[in-house]
Amino acid sequence: MQDLLNHPAVQAGFAPFLIALIISELFLRIRLSGLAIIAGFAATVYLVSDFGIEPLTATRKIIWLGIGSAALGLAFGSSISNWRSWLLIALSAAAANWTLWRILEQQELNMMLQWGAACGAYVAILVWGMDKLLEKETLRVSCAATALGIGTGGAALIGASALLGQFGLAVGSAAAAPLIIKFISNQPLPTGRMFTLPIALIAGLTGCVAVLSATVPWYALAILAGIPITAWLMPLPKHPIRIQILLLTFVTFVFVASAIYVTWRVAGDVPL
Amino acid sequence: MLKSLFALGIALPLTAFAADSYTVDSTHTYPHFSISHLGFSTMQGRFDDTSGKITLDRAAKSGSVEITIKTASVSTGFAKRDDHLKSPDFFNAAEFPSITYKSTAMRFKGDIPSSVDGNLTLSGVTKPVTLTIDAFNCGTHPMNKKEVCGAAASTQIKRSDFGVKYGLPGVGDDVKLVFEIEAVKN
Repeated sequence: MQDLLNHPAVQAGFAPFLIALIISELFLRIRLSGLAIIAGFAATVYLVSDFGIEPLTATRKIIWLGIGSAALGLAFGSSISNWRSWLLIALSAAAANWTLWRILEQQELNMMLQWGAACGAYVAILVWGMDKLLEKETLRVSCAATALGIGTGGAALIGASALLGQFGLAVGSAAAAPLIIKFISNQPLPTGRMFTLPIALIAGLTGCVAVLSATVPWYALAILAGIPITAWLMPLPKHPIRIQILLLTFVTFVFVASAIYVTWRVAGDVPL
Repeated sequence: MLKSLFALGIALPLTAFAADSYTVDSTHTYPHFSISHLGFSTMQGRFDDTSGKITLDRAAKSGSVEITIKTASVSTGFAKRDDHLKSPDFFNAAEFPSITYKSTAMRFKGDIPSSVDGNLTLSGVTKPVTLTIDAFNCGTHPMNKKEVCGAAASTQIKRSDFGVKYGLPGVGDDVKLVFEIEAVKN
């Protein structure tokens, strides 16, 4: 059993997917199935890392900000309001700079400002993009979340570290669970900010740490930023939900494959 | 009484000055580490950029050691693995650019230092670590005629104690550290 739990595919793929599937189903009636993302992510953290605080590294900040964002998303609900969106955008940009502070403070002022602004903007774009998707069909949210997680995780795994890769893949796998339920039941599933905020924040912060601490190129993140925007803009003809999911998955995974490809071109194969 | 105090007043500064100070010669100082790779082989690695200061008072049998290692200078002979070692999975060089060792006490056998107690800070975690001095020699450098001391010190740590847990238990927890040091008298 321990060997199974030590396997990276179980830690960042099967375990968060299974936990998210259970949470989605259990909490569906009380409309809290969006907590599936953070539950799946927490399962991976438990298996590959810990919930410690000292020393407060960037990866630990990602864990605690992810958990905090789920609580904030729960408090903010799903209602569309401009002030909520702008507040979340401002908070996420600040969270990005706090997470990266230890790395940024070692740079020259020029670089520090550039990277701080770029990472703040990247995380803010993801938070804004995922928040904007709440105005549309929920399957757009789930498809974008799955692609964003897997794209971030794949790029981080190749170009940065296994831990960051597993963080991204965990939220991607967790986001895939409600998508599967939608696909099988042919019914939409409620998501809300408790779903969109953690995925955007965890994927955004993981991507930024992967760029600043390793060899993931910045333009891989620029490609990934296109996922929520594309999911929002893409016209969906009145097909059955299953066909719509397949269409959205195909289009968003073009971005995933592109981000992983450009990272692989820079970083090369994963050493075993 | 006054005479004694006067004598002590002169003697104390003299004792303080008796300690020789040395600067670590970065071009002849390489901390090495070795670690089990999946139980098949023992991987060797080293750090290419090390600096520090050493003080030594062999008469008073005391001394101090301060070593700073640039984390990003890790080298195992394979660039892709070095990148992984610098990542947050292992040394997290972007957040923790230095590994430091600061002594708290030095023990002697005769007038030769035999071990050093101190604190090792790795990945933001500080733990007490005792270095055993396996070889020690001082003398005049044949070319530049400066006084040089050299030493080989070793210890074993558990990387999990410093929060470096990636790849456990496949990649070993026990890490052997060997410091080959040369220091030039100031």
